[in-house]
Amino acid sequence: MVRLKPLAAIVGVGRTEFGEHWYENPEKLMVRAGLEAIGSVEKGLRRSSIQSCYFGSFLYQVTNQLGLLPGYMSRELGINVPMSTTEAACGSGGAALYNACIGVRSGQHDLVLVGGFEKMSDASAHVLDDLMLAADPHEFDAGYTFSGLYAAIMTRYLYQYGRGDRRCSEALAQVACKNHHHALNNPYAQFRREITVDQVMSSPLIADPIRLLHCSPISDGAVALILTSRELAKSYTDTPVYVVASQQATDDVSLSNRESVTSIRATALATRAAAEEAAVTIESLRLAEVHDCFTIEELLFLEDSGLYKRGEAWRGMYQSYESFKGSRHIPYEGPTGELIVNPGGGLKADGHPVGATGVRQAYECFKQLRGEAGSNQVSVDGDLNAAICHNVGGTGGICTVHILARDLA
Amino acid sequence: MSEATIRRKTLVDYRITAAKCEGCGASYFPPKSFCNVEGRSSKMRHVDYFESVGTLFTGTVIRKATSRFGHLSPFLAGIISFDDGKIKVPGRITDQVPPDGEVDVSEFIGRGVVPRFRRLYANGGYGVVSYSSLNFSLVDDYYCHFPQKRQGNEVHKKSRPGIVGYGVYLPKFRVRNDDSSASGGVRERTVPFQDEDTTTFAVEAGRRALIHAGVRSREVKKCFLGSESTPYAVKPSMSTVCQALELGEKYEDGFISGGVDSQFACKAATDLFIDAAALVAYPTFGGSNVMVIGSDNSQAAPHDALDSTVGAGAAAYVFGERGVIATLDHYAPYTSDTADFYRRDGEKYPRHGGRFTGKPAYFKHVTSAIRNVLKESGLCPGDFAYAVNHSPNARYPLMAALEMGFQKDQVEPGLVVEQIGNLYSASCPTALAAVLDIAKPGERILATSYGSGAGSDSYVFTATDLILEKRPGTIRVRDQVDSPKRQYVDYGTYRAWKDMS
Repeated sequence: MVRLKPLAAIVGVGRTEFGEHWYENPEKLMVRAGLEAIGSVEKGLRRSSIQSCYFGSFLYQVTNQLGLLPGYMSRELGINVPMSTTEAACGSGGAALYNACIGVRSGQHDLVLVGGFEKMSDASAHVLDDLMLAADPHEFDAGYTFSGLYAAIMTRYLYQYGRGDRRCSEALAQVACKNHHHALNNPYAQFRREITVDQVMSSPLIADPIRLLHCSPISDGAVALILTSRELAKSYTDTPVYVVASQQATDDVSLSNRESVTSIRATALATRAAAEEAAVTIESLRLAEVHDCFTIEELLFLEDSGLYKRGEAWRGMYQSYESFKGSRHIPYEGPTGELIVNPGGGLKADGHPVGATGVRQAYECFKQLRGEAGSNQVSVDGDLNAAICHNVGGTGGICTVHILARDLA
Repeated sequence: MSEATIRRKTLVDYRITAAKCEGCGASYFPPKSFCNVEGRSSKMRHVDYFESVGTLFTGTVIRKATSRFGHLSPFLAGIISFDDGKIKVPGRITDQVPPDGEVDVSEFIGRGVVPRFRRLYANGGYGVVSYSSLNFSLVDDYYCHFPQKRQGNEVHKKSRPGIVGYGVYLPKFRVRNDDSSASGGVRERTVPFQDEDTTTFAVEAGRRALIHAGVRSREVKKCFLGSESTPYAVKPSMSTVCQALELGEKYEDGFISGGVDSQFACKAATDLFIDAAALVAYPTFGGSNVMVIGSDNSQAAPHDALDSTVGAGAAAYVFGERGVIATLDHYAPYTSDTADFYRRDGEKYPRHGGRFTGKPAYFKHVTSAIRNVLKESGLCPGDFAYAVNHSPNARYPLMAALEMGFQKDQVEPGLVVEQIGNLYSASCPTALAAVLDIAKPGERILATSYGSGAGSDSYVFTATDLILEKRPGTIRVRDQVDSPKRQYVDYGTYRAWKDMS
């Protein structure tokens, strides 16, 4: 059962396909998703009713040479309301949603647009360099790339917990296969094709032991949500999806400075706080949108959230994947039931336009909770009523967790 | 990166400076002003890990690097743990070329690593060069690691000024000459790794010299850096050495010390030996020691005659009046305006007069200086245990010595050029170090340099009793020359790496 007093409600969503958008500027992508979200509100919504906008994006100033995003979005949306942009690296989208929830629950605004976008293909030549803005400069100076930092996490995890067991490496490849499989019926996904464990484990080395197919791609895309107060939600739609927890935690920007490199403290803190806020247990949830920028990050969530004991998630993941007999979504089989992670393909296969990701996670949960995911609709034992979104910035310098629910107890 | 940003980075990165809470011992890198545990009233103290041994905590092999590190990839990047994990820092493992195919980095976890002062990047050919000590070599790799033993030299009586300690740095990599008869007997040569340059050699040699000398950094009030291949046309490399080694008394975020980069082709360093010895005896100098470093990534145009003889490395000498291992007894310089080898400003490679560089240049100046130093000292060749000359190849230094009446066995111990090549400003100083490595108390050494343009300095040194006492603190030249950990590269790699620094 979920919290009786939700913080806010999502009443409309919109998104672009993720992939390469050579013919559109980033602000055009964003407005496309925004207009789709406005148009999706069942009982109607005028642009002029939007009271504020919260955007999340990471590299627009560097990659796209844009500043003063509110000015661009005012022009594109044709409105003159307060707007803000949140930068929290790959966690920008989740952080924008977090700020929007504060705006709504504070009573300052009744109806806001939340947008996340990124346009990375314009500068694919230096995107490796640009992404390192989300790391400590000393990590840059050590020659690290972002995949390199996650590779250092994976190396340590394999050393500490895998202990030479090939199944641990295979489990980390299976994550990618599972998420590709989940994206097959997602019309917006960047990659709608199956990959095999062998393909992952023989794909080009990027940063040992991370290979190309362990990584989420470089993507363009935008996603938007319409957020309103609980009180007004039903005046826009009969089936709003409520935000019942919105939590964020931060940690040292530098991976090397953290107490542990095989767990993300910000994830543990934000997840625990969100579960408390929503009065649910993580184990009771059946659907999760998890930040799988690299497959090891999906594994760490399963441990940091408490679903699996430290160092044991890979066993559960391996067994779940190996024993899966169905044809649609591949769940993780926990001691208290099944959990479907990244039903639309996650960052790995749906795509990872960095600032859009945190908002895309809420989009996906909105669709699934309303039963509107079409041929990609998940099926779980019993009624699917709540889902968790987990969005990380950098290597864990920030984590935002949202819990969404359709019906309130 | 702006000049201001780089300046701030030097204060943290040159010596891996962290802040430690005096209350609870918690440490922070980069340093911060208060302790998270003890609160804002905590007392923080700066500590550095420049001389420490860390362990590899985790890491990866970067295959596709950022643009600034593309030339180095693939390479091993790690997280390094110091003080039993109280501090963890990111760092690149240097002087390693990972093999093809997946590397199981977990096999490196727990291995000891030592900080190395290396070049990170520069903004093209015009920007400030960034250096850092957050580069590490495996402790059981080519380099020996010496614990700090700098007890000072106060216990020793004053003597005639001379060498208090020295340190030589020869890079790990080597290139072979297929036909050493075509390169004056030079069989193989040292090659800088891609992140090394004249400045980084100088820092490493200087650090070794301080350790060998038992001198505290603050006691060195002046540092001369002789080179013809520093990364800047204008801006001293000596100041980088000074900042990295913390030479002189600390004052605010700088040091009460001076010095200069000097240029006189291959005798830029030896020219200042006498000045260093004179300074330490100067009544109001106010410091105990002067450091002189010869350092070169010896330049040669591709396929020029020099291209088969040039090496890379540095030799550093600490001069003083206490704790002297070899007194500087006599000195005779010789100079004439002879343009046999030169490089005009803005030119990448030096030019030379071919055979003209032999008789009228090298031999004339070297023998004139030797003749004068023998005359002045009243000594004859038989009074010396060793004679070392500037070594552009293996033939010249021997021929010049034989011409002056020395025997082959006096010269051969210093003929390391056969395996390291011509180190330019570091050539004569390295040959001198090779004989200091084995000299016994009372033995005399004749050391004669040559710098094109042209000039020679001839010095007479006499080893003291302390030379044996301090010997355990040396990383000997021959040990580096013959190190089983040295690694060979092909001509193309040698050329590419050499031109990078």
